[in-house]
Amino acid sequence: MKIILKGRRVIGGSAEGEAVVTAQPISFLGGVDPDKGTVVERGHELEGQSITGKVFVFPHGKGSTAGPYIIYAMAKRQTAPSAIINVEAEPIIAVGAAMGNIPLVDRLDQNPLKVIAMGDYVKVDGDKGTVEIIKKG
Amino acid sequence: MNLTDREKKMLDGVLGTGPQSAMRLLVTLGEIYGAKRMIPVSSCHVGGRSYLISGEENIEWMTDLLNGGARFQVFTSTNPCSVDCEQWQEMGLPEKLVLSQRRADEPYMKMGAVPLGSCLPYQLGNLPLPGTHFSWGGSAGATFVNSVFGARGNREGSPSVIAAAIAGVTPEFGLHLKENRYGKVLVDLSGLDHSSLTLSEYSAIGSYVGRILVDKTPVIVGLPETLSPDQIRFLISPMPTAGAISLCHLAGITPEAPTVDAALGGEKPEDKIAVGWKEMRTSFAKLTTAQKEDVDLVCFGCPHCSISQIKEIASLFEGKKVHENTRLWVATSSHLKNIAHCMGYLEIIEQAGGLVTTDLCVAPGAPFHLVEGVKTVAINSARGAYFIPGACHLDVIFGDTKDCLQAAISGKWRASI
Repeated sequence: MKIILKGRRVIGGSAEGEAVVTAQPISFLGGVDPDKGTVVERGHELEGQSITGKVFVFPHGKGSTAGPYIIYAMAKRQTAPSAIINVEAEPIIAVGAAMGNIPLVDRLDQNPLKVIAMGDYVKVDGDKGTVEIIKKG
Repeated sequence: MNLTDREKKMLDGVLGTGPQSAMRLLVTLGEIYGAKRMIPVSSCHVGGRSYLISGEENIEWMTDLLNGGARFQVFTSTNPCSVDCEQWQEMGLPEKLVLSQRRADEPYMKMGAVPLGSCLPYQLGNLPLPGTHFSWGGSAGATFVNSVFGARGNREGSPSVIAAAIAGVTPEFGLHLKENRYGKVLVDLSGLDHSSLTLSEYSAIGSYVGRILVDKTPVIVGLPETLSPDQIRFLISPMPTAGAISLCHLAGITPEAPTVDAALGGEKPEDKIAVGWKEMRTSFAKLTTAQKEDVDLVCFGCPHCSISQIKEIASLFEGKKVHENTRLWVATSSHLKNIAHCMGYLEIIEQAGGLVTTDLCVAPGAPFHLVEGVKTVAINSARGAYFIPGACHLDVIFGDTKDCLQAAISGKWRASI
């Protein structure tokens, strides 16, 4: 089954990968290990989960304004997600994605947290602002 | 966004990958906030310079920008950093930190930064004029420039400031637009006895206002005509930390607030609050995390001390001695340290056993946790007290200047109120 969602381009470029989905906001500074590419925030539902090379789906960012540096470092160390899908992007995630050249789309016509499930294969076209989902199984 | 030919060229990489990255970041920010165009900035001030805040990641990013041909196009000064490179040994800091900080500073200098090393750059030559646009990191400075000089800018993280300094422009949104600068809530301070209020108490008031108003622009009434720049600084600098306020109208002082009506843009205020002595005092308890009375380090200078503050500290310390288990740091710019030396204040503070530090941030980027034996820090500003537990994982006591000095001498905290 293939689903196509349309949204807003925040950072252009295209990428694809397996989806990692959380309904909880993400803080990259302190919440993600840039060397390992894993979520390390205590008590986060993704704690221990790798996001490297994945299409990372979460509602929006939170936390320190130094967050962009972490996303940038992950891009440099090749531990970053291949693309990011937000419900609503905010400056910290968006600036980090811009610094690291990571495609980012938001404001999709359906809630991505409901439509995309963990392990679905997702293609993100950041230039067009579209997301193609190939459901798992 | 509508971009000019020059901005489009930058975005397309015609001017190099450095300016391209900068412009891409600014366009992204502009699109998220619905900005229609870029506007020229006349003044930049980069925060986030402390190695302890931005670390290796910032060095990598800045080096990439530099190698990609990026240079600062506008007057760009620097905030304080993680260490005083002249006095790190006396401060008990590791040499490794000095070397890391120097490495972190290199790309800034190569891009043409003016190393003021202070969060009061407007006292040192970076002075945005009324109605002009600025891009500053360091929310205390940005709030002062918005509120006292009537220049226009948002509270920003460092990457977008660096991008604006390289591109010479910033997206027009938020406080760059006149319609977003009007006051929303009337704050009445007429119930306070201003003749007896200390700087620490003004910062306690500012912290309370930030907590209550969150992100609504205040219009302050009931201030004395004799309010000093230091009093204004202490009043408004905690507002962006306790809340997310980066413009505060001081009726009769702020260029956009000759009258209350002008500050409100002719509209009725959404709300009115009064701050009295009781409300003000709540900030001291709220920001203090220490349970024990032992004080390992007493700090002044968040934001950096003015020459009047250094004079006050010197006069209170004359003939006294800092306790052997306690350290005293007075943070300011190298320019003001020189002035303090000329006026004899530096010698008084040093003879008492204190240090006047330069280029050092004593709150968000501070190295307190790297000094052996430091567990509790006493500081005389609400802004500093807000940052220390989160940035350094240490306990903090927020108290009045005189109580902080008493703690430096006795090594123990005894509040006078």
